[in-house]
Amino acid sequence: MILTEESVRKIKEKLQQYPQPKSVILPALTVAYRQVGYVDADIYREISHIINIPTVEVAEAATFYTMFAKKPRGKYLIQVCHNISCALLGADSLIGYIEEKLGIKIGETTEDNLFTLVTVECLGSCATAPMMQINQDYYEKLTKEKVDQILEDLRSKA
Amino acid sequence: MKEVIKAVGHVFIKMPQGLLVTLKHLFKKPVTLDYPRKKKPMMPRYRGRHYLERYDDGSERCVCCGLCAAACPADAIYMEPEEGEHGERRAKVYEINLLRCIFCGFCEEACPEEAIFLGQEYEFAADKRNSFLWTKEDMLVPHPRKDNPFKKIIRRVRKVYGVTEQ
Amino acid sequence: MADDIKDKVKTDVPTVTFTMDGQEVTVAKGTTILEAARSIGIHIPTFCWHPKLKPVGSCRMCYVEIEKWPKLAVSCVTEATDGMIVHTESDKVKRGRRATLEFLLLNHPLDCPTCDQGGECELQNLTFEHGIDDSRFDFQKNRFTSDTDNTVFDDKRIGPEIILNRNRCILCYRCVRANKEAFGEYDLGVYERGNIAEINAAPGQQVNSPFSGNLPEICPVGALTSVDWRYKMRVWLAGKTPSICPYSSSGSNILIYTDDNKNLIRRVTSRCNDDIDDGWLSDITRYGYQIANSEERLQTPLIKKEGKQVEATWDEALEVICNRFKEITEKKGKVCIGGLISPSLDNASLYCSSKLFRTVFNNNNIDFRTDYRMLPNKPDSYFGMLCNRSFRITDIDDSDVIVVLGSDLIREHHNEYLRIRKAVNFNNARVFSLNPYSVKSADVAQAEIVYNIGTDEIILVAIGLAAIEMGLVEQGLAQGFKEKVKLGSLAEATEVCGVSSDDVKLVARALAGDGKVSVIVGELITRSHGREAVASALFNLSRLLGIDKKGQMAVLARYANSRGAEKLGLLPIPTGAQVEMLKAMWGKFPDAEPQTTDAMLALMHKEEISGGLVLGGNPIMLYPDRQFITEGLEKLDFLVACDLFESETTELADVVLPMSSWAEYEGSYVNLEGCNQVACQAIKHIGQSKPAFEIIRLIAEKIGTSLFESDEQMATEIEQLLSCEPDNATPDNFVDVLPLSEEVDPDFPIPLCICDDPHHTGALTQKAPSLTNFTGEAYIEMSPDLAARLEVSEGQPVRVESPVGKIVMPVKVSKHIDNDVVIIPRNFSQIRVTSLLMRKKRVDRVRITKVDE
Repeated sequence: MILTEESVRKIKEKLQQYPQPKSVILPALTVAYRQVGYVDADIYREISHIINIPTVEVAEAATFYTMFAKKPRGKYLIQVCHNISCALLGADSLIGYIEEKLGIKIGETTEDNLFTLVTVECLGSCATAPMMQINQDYYEKLTKEKVDQILEDLRSKA
Repeated sequence: MKEVIKAVGHVFIKMPQGLLVTLKHLFKKPVTLDYPRKKKPMMPRYRGRHYLERYDDGSERCVCCGLCAAACPADAIYMEPEEGEHGERRAKVYEINLLRCIFCGFCEEACPEEAIFLGQEYEFAADKRNSFLWTKEDMLVPHPRKDNPFKKIIRRVRKVYGVTEQ
Repeated sequence: MADDIKDKVKTDVPTVTFTMDGQEVTVAKGTTILEAARSIGIHIPTFCWHPKLKPVGSCRMCYVEIEKWPKLAVSCVTEATDGMIVHTESDKVKRGRRATLEFLLLNHPLDCPTCDQGGECELQNLTFEHGIDDSRFDFQKNRFTSDTDNTVFDDKRIGPEIILNRNRCILCYRCVRANKEAFGEYDLGVYERGNIAEINAAPGQQVNSPFSGNLPEICPVGALTSVDWRYKMRVWLAGKTPSICPYSSSGSNILIYTDDNKNLIRRVTSRCNDDIDDGWLSDITRYGYQIANSEERLQTPLIKKEGKQVEATWDEALEVICNRFKEITEKKGKVCIGGLISPSLDNASLYCSSKLFRTVFNNNNIDFRTDYRMLPNKPDSYFGMLCNRSFRITDIDDSDVIVVLGSDLIREHHNEYLRIRKAVNFNNARVFSLNPYSVKSADVAQAEIVYNIGTDEIILVAIGLAAIEMGLVEQGLAQGFKEKVKLGSLAEATEVCGVSSDDVKLVARALAGDGKVSVIVGELITRSHGREAVASALFNLSRLLGIDKKGQMAVLARYANSRGAEKLGLLPIPTGAQVEMLKAMWGKFPDAEPQTTDAMLALMHKEEISGGLVLGGNPIMLYPDRQFITEGLEKLDFLVACDLFESETTELADVVLPMSSWAEYEGSYVNLEGCNQVACQAIKHIGQSKPAFEIIRLIAEKIGTSLFESDEQMATEIEQLLSCEPDNATPDNFVDVLPLSEEVDPDFPIPLCICDDPHHTGALTQKAPSLTNFTGEAYIEMSPDLAARLEVSEGQPVRVESPVGKIVMPVKVSKHIDNDVVIIPRNFSQIRVTSLLMRKKRVDRVRITKVDE
């Protein structure tokens, strides 16, 4: 069992809130994702056992939504905006810089499982472009120095 | 009397005349060929014997799709497909009955893989009917054609298939 | 009754009238434009739309132009409304369809030469029709790469008989929808989205349902292809012969594809008949043909000489048969020959056998029910009455209440199972499944009632008592019903059955309602000793609740021509009407004592029957007491066996005759609803084999009587017999229900059910390689709970012992079973399942122990 008792309890609670077990797929996946950090076939199977629907239904829903990571991610998920405002203010070179600094490409995770780098569409902070989001926090008006500082802080914190 | 003079005239005038023609041809280029030793070069679009082609890596081009057999007006082609080592389709049996074949070249035109083409050779004489049944082994031989005029088309087809060339 | 309801529905439905391509069309309200077009013969191209599935409108191929609509409409999901003006062939429509095709072809690999669908591909045909010869798409196509060797050649097996090529998929979702909607299977899904969306098997699962063969057939392109048909031949080279399935009792209509050069059957596809199979085939029907191509087929007659069977000619074999039969009749009289006939044979064969025994041997020793136990020797039983009731498959569709008693439909009646699913999906039918163990086919059931094994008739009584207790029936009827049952109250009955009274009340209320009812009785009842008690309980229930008047109830025939055998009078005791008819035709009818399979075997033991004829089938493997039948057949002086293969039965035979399979001659078969269908000859006879009816006629001729003056005579006689309609008789009043209960031997506590595997039927399908790819060897199916108690896991061998036999086989754990019943399939000859059984028992019980390795 990958899911903890706590997660299972939460999923069962959700089961009470919806008329059909099929509706619980997404909430259950969210619970699992919060706990594990990614979802995969084993988790689909566990969820399908808990809410008693076929595994394939869970798998279909989970793969449709791109924000459920399908493989383990680093502790810090770096999401760099590459839409127009950020792009005009040098997001591309910034992404290149982060790639070089962490030694990974977009979509990859560092070997120490600390950072995962992805690009995202507009995060609604165009006024402070270029920007990125690391886990739940925004980092704005970025420069190379600032990025150095941020990554250094996170690394020492970890 | 007259007839005698005429006959003598034939012997001394007409005959040398005739022999002169022969003599002239002795020094002319002959119109016939010294066939088995010398062969006439064929026209570039002549349709002779069938060849099956291979890819550069040695694998067979023919996937046994059956279109040549479908196009064949003489019903001379018979084939049986099978599954290759990697799950690919290929011919287990590929036979052309040369006694039926009318060398129309439709098979060549129908072939989507550019696998079969008709070469320049025309000597298939044999003393057994069985030896006119050409199998895959008979046709999958190296052929003298240096440049494949279809190469460009093939490259395009391969692109459509999604195979990127190195 | 059924027709009345249908007519009422038809007249009540409001209609709409609109114009399509200049034609005035009137259809029922709610009909889509596409369906309306098809009904008047206008062809609209489609990919995702399938007549048996709900429309989704995902492919956009079925564009039509509707006047005053701003855009082209997708006709498969657009309802027709009054006054619409629809154009299906305008330039705008053509441009729209062309654009759709161009989009579909963006990522479609043009590998038609290697694709098995080439020649019957809908995408290929439409591309050709619309004249698209080039693509404007100049970029690299999106490609799925193979998991193993990183090439774009992406053919992979997602099931024992299915190959998936994701690159060819056009995402019409037909397969996934059919799998979920029509078959109730969840082993195939759509993953990811947008450009990279893909169809694939469910994580960690194989696509191996008993209906998986339908998926390649409904795939419009070559994304799902069948392993069976893989690279065999081009479809345009195959000969096509219409035929009938020789395995299913509903008589699915099939199309046989043959390779005429090699005299082989290459594949079988559906020949959609809405009244019978609804376009879906079970895998048994689809792959079962492979037995006809088998290398192991008997090629020549065999004669036993000095204990060894040696090859012989037909003349020699017939000579021996004739002489020996004559010898036996001279010595012991004509009654001393018995016949066991397979109910999978065609009408002509069955009728010829009946005529041979009744007119030439002048006896009634003939039966086709070789796998039933303890058949009564007396006529006019209630069970016989129940068998002789009419049943229509299409009536399941609009039934409101469907009760399935004693049958795992997915193992016995695949087509009817799909019908029931359809009734649930499209008609909101309520299904109740009453079985001694929980079955997979009960997934559509509103309530599944699992009763104690061997209490089949008491559960029916309990339903009646529940209806009485709830006051749903008249007092007079209730009184009559109660008099005939030994049990006083519902509580008592439910306790005997071990079910909750709430569930029983649910069924009672549904049956007592006004809705149309279908009651289906399956093999667990027919093959059991208690069939008579169940039949009488069912008649009582029907009288009590009026089931008779508002629907149908029937024992479903099990084999391809069981119904035909009954209609042709192949039973030892034909019905009165049949006897009259036969007497008129033949001028005589034997008055010898009728003998059923059981009685015949008993007489063989006593050496009163000393000559035997086994025509098709393998009674030794299927008769529920292996020792009894083996000894019986061994004691015979002379046994003739005709079959396709060497089997346990042919081993004992003195003469073995090679029989042709159903595809090698033209024959007609009567399906379970009494519909007579013809299977045409697809291939030539294999080896020296002959059709069964010809064998019988040859034997008769050799003995000295010609059965028929001409072939026409045979045809007319059969036709005359088949024209006899079922009499639908019911007992005049409530009848006695005599429950049969048995002592449970504490040494052998676990009840055993013998069933067919979902991918096999009878004894022959184990010769079909595709079907053995699904299940190749016997197993013992049990609940997870029982497996845990025995400390065994999936695949581990266990020893199964009964008072008479002992076998070892691997365990299969089935989550859907929740009591202690174990199930063993009877289709595999390497494990002698029937040696565990005793014919006199109602419930077979066994002891299971773990085998220590």
